[in-house]
Amino acid sequence: MANVRLDKIKPLVALAAFLFAWWAIPTTVKSYLKVGFTEFQSPAWVATSYLDDLEGFWARRSHSKVELIEAGREVARAKSHYQFRAQRTQSLEQEILRLETILNLPSRREFRYEVARVVRRDLNFWWQHIIIRKGKDYNIPKGAAVVFAGGVVGRVIEVNAFTSRVELVTSPNFRMAANFEGDGRPVIYQGVAQSGFGNPIGSVRDVPKDTHASTLTPLKLVSTHFGGAFPAGLVIGQVSWLEPGITGIFQAGSVELDSRLLSLHEVAVLIPLYPINLPTDDL
Amino acid sequence: MIFDLRAILLFGSNVLLLYITLIANSALSSWSIYMLLLGPMLVFPALYLRHQHYFNCTLCTGLWCDAALPSPFGLFTILFLISGALIFQFRIRFRANQNYHPIFLSHGINFFFILFVAISMSTEYLLSVGFWLHFVVITITSHLTLLIVSPWFFNFERMLFALFRMDDESEDYPNF
Repeated sequence: MANVRLDKIKPLVALAAFLFAWWAIPTTVKSYLKVGFTEFQSPAWVATSYLDDLEGFWARRSHSKVELIEAGREVARAKSHYQFRAQRTQSLEQEILRLETILNLPSRREFRYEVARVVRRDLNFWWQHIIIRKGKDYNIPKGAAVVFAGGVVGRVIEVNAFTSRVELVTSPNFRMAANFEGDGRPVIYQGVAQSGFGNPIGSVRDVPKDTHASTLTPLKLVSTHFGGAFPAGLVIGQVSWLEPGITGIFQAGSVELDSRLLSLHEVAVLIPLYPINLPTDDL
Repeated sequence: MIFDLRAILLFGSNVLLLYITLIANSALSSWSIYMLLLGPMLVFPALYLRHQHYFNCTLCTGLWCDAALPSPFGLFTILFLISGALIFQFRIRFRANQNYHPIFLSHGINFFFILFVAISMSTEYLLSVGFWLHFVVITITSHLTLLIVSPWFFNFERMLFALFRMDDESEDYPNF
């Protein structure tokens, strides 16, 4: 009789036992499990990304010679333009360095850019993440800033052997210090849950009361050197409306972000050349 | 039977379905469309396999989904096992050899997953109109896609059973 009863409730008993075991298992074991399963899946995503590249290669091979010559001309024009800009940037950087030395200013953080292909995009109301095709194999550090041609993309939150997960600037968990272009006072940028079909948005708060924004004269929100991983001056988005915040002391508003964030193909990870080693409490 | 090849075949099918879904979601991201197609994954393991093999297959599938999706680790594993246990409890009432009941089950489970994920991942947005709009869009898109995917997926799993000369009869029914 007891055997029959146990047979009836076997799934529920097993479920209860599992739930208790899951509650009792140390977090370290769970994180090992997660890493193990993630690393096991990574090769499939990397292979998919390489297949995409191959598809693109064959698609480009189908172009006619005339089209390729025309594209080559455009690339040559752009190259000469950027060579000139590079010379100009170099001379300006030397000038900045000279002035910094005269004024005895502290040195700024230097970065190297690691360009990476986007393997996968997980974008919805609940999470705003992308996966890139570079990880520990390219010394990508956790917390590194990620940028693209349109400005800030997000921050690396997980690094695996061959891939990394990036939390987008649109995610509600993403927050950074920022300032408006031409105004050095810091404000706080935070992502919000993306609910509609329009362009991605974020939010800004702690904006001083004397700051005015309108649709005719929108303010450009850029990163500041207080942002930790991000160098100053990277575009986050633009603000065309500000209203009194909850406290009444500061203003808050919505930030219009770049619509290309939803269809990224290539990004650059900013890896600090001289990572800051904060002192620890260890004696 | 200590080792059931069908559990591995069903787990492989689940991995394939998740992989295809995530590729589709990645491609659809610029239109703000997202699909959650997890319902069909635990129907056949719960209807066909012995309890031990069903449990192993569902546990591995849940852990695989948890590693692939950016949700808190364990969320889908627990959801899979709760839903699986309920189906397993009443599986004698469902006909696994035809698609009608499995499709019905897959829609029900999928809706439960979407609802649970929506509520657990965004409790602070429950009063937001945008949240419910997005929830409706995800639900409609997922279930319209499931109308096509579920029959294909179940036929694919049956085809795998036939290909590997596996028994396509349900096992381990409870003694009432």
